[in-house]
Amino acid sequence: MRVALAEDGALFREGLEMLLQAAGHEVVGSTADGDALVELLAEKPADAAILDIRMPPEPDGGLVTAERLRAAHPQMGLLFLSHYAESHYLMRILQIGTESIGYRLKEKVGSVDVLSDTLARIGDGEIVIEPVLAKRLVERPRGDKKGIIATLSERELDVLRLMAEGRSNNGIAAQLFVTPKAVEKHIANIFGKLNLHADTAEHHRRVLAVLTYLRSQRGED
Amino acid sequence: MMLEPAQRAGDAPHRACEQAAVPLSADGGRVPAIRLAAPSSAAGRRAEQAEWMRRRRLERQLHDGAALRISALTLQIGLMRHRIPQADAELDSAVDALQDELHAVLQELRDVSGQIFPPLLDQAGLGPAVREAAERCSMPVRTTIDDDRFGPAAEGAAYYAVLELFAALDAAPGPDGQQPAVRAGRVPAGDGEPVLVMQISGVDVRHADAMLAHVWRLGATIDISRGAGIGTITARIPCE
Repeated sequence: MRVALAEDGALFREGLEMLLQAAGHEVVGSTADGDALVELLAEKPADAAILDIRMPPEPDGGLVTAERLRAAHPQMGLLFLSHYAESHYLMRILQIGTESIGYRLKEKVGSVDVLSDTLARIGDGEIVIEPVLAKRLVERPRGDKKGIIATLSERELDVLRLMAEGRSNNGIAAQLFVTPKAVEKHIANIFGKLNLHADTAEHHRRVLAVLTYLRSQRGED
Repeated sequence: MMLEPAQRAGDAPHRACEQAAVPLSADGGRVPAIRLAAPSSAAGRRAEQAEWMRRRRLERQLHDGAALRISALTLQIGLMRHRIPQADAELDSAVDALQDELHAVLQELRDVSGQIFPPLLDQAGLGPAVREAAERCSMPVRTTIDDDRFGPAAEGAAYYAVLELFAALDAAPGPDGQQPAVRAGRVPAGDGEPVLVMQISGVDVRHADAMLAHVWRLGATIDISRGAGIGTITARIPCE
């Protein structure tokens, strides 16, 4: 893959460049801040951009850079690397996009296999989330979600599956040949069954519902 | 340690106890409150602010220094393994173990950072940091926090005060039907300095004492409404 990266820590940036090359990827450019990466990618094509979250422009340059890149190059995969796995950042990342996007801890991509696998999944359109974080989100201390997906009706499951594909309510309605109102009702039922409280923001609940679903699909529930 | 409000007046030197209204409370300020406060000098407040700045610097130093070096080390180890031709299975598992160990070291550093100054608080502010903490609480906590910045001292003090409250809720969940909620926002400065008001409702007000310990050095006050039992704790913290 053709990969570009932005990371303000020189040591980590150089290490990542070398590992990417060792994994057979072409590093089309690497910069110490997000703005320079946006400029660079205006000239050179790339399949994926790897971004540090906490870098210039401060405070979280990786996120603003990603928004600009997603707008300018919708097909380009985005991989965020951070020292912290926080659900706050995951929510912001999933607001940028729910396709071809990933969020991993810096020290967890330290092998050719893991790095290539992560980039390949992003290239295939997947959301790749650091397992430690995905686990924390679905295993909330009070919520025993074991088998909870099984309590959903078939239609609710269809809706959830389409949500996991990143579709909007209108998109789901079109797919299922129902009205957007009916979709809203199904989603409210799903949130209820998954114990996602009404005080949590709509988008947040959507993401949590999707994560629960993805996890159940992997047979880990 | 939790004390009944009635016992509180004498439990610390310098601590004043007076009746005050709670203007921001849902009850419209009609409920009489007990105010906890401790006199703090301007010099003491400046020292406390400097202390929070120091803590924030330390956290940044850990992130930009040791943590980044260790992360870079995992990349170098990965590269080394790739360069050794026909690495055997034993070497492979030794490299895996080494990288796992470095991850464990970083997890411990993250834990230390979180106790010095939470990185999310520094980077994203009080709202995201408290929401993240509330998510880890064993009880659903509703949070409504202004998307605003209050300076490292007020944010740090408010965060650790509410964290202590969450820990107390985890340890002693209290009666059923309790619905803790955290609201926080800025009260515009009149002629004085701006104030961060943090109001926690639906909790055992005996936790107010532990919260005061985190904020009084900044010249903050804590009001308790409804006396003993479930009520509302309101902290007013001078901020930037």
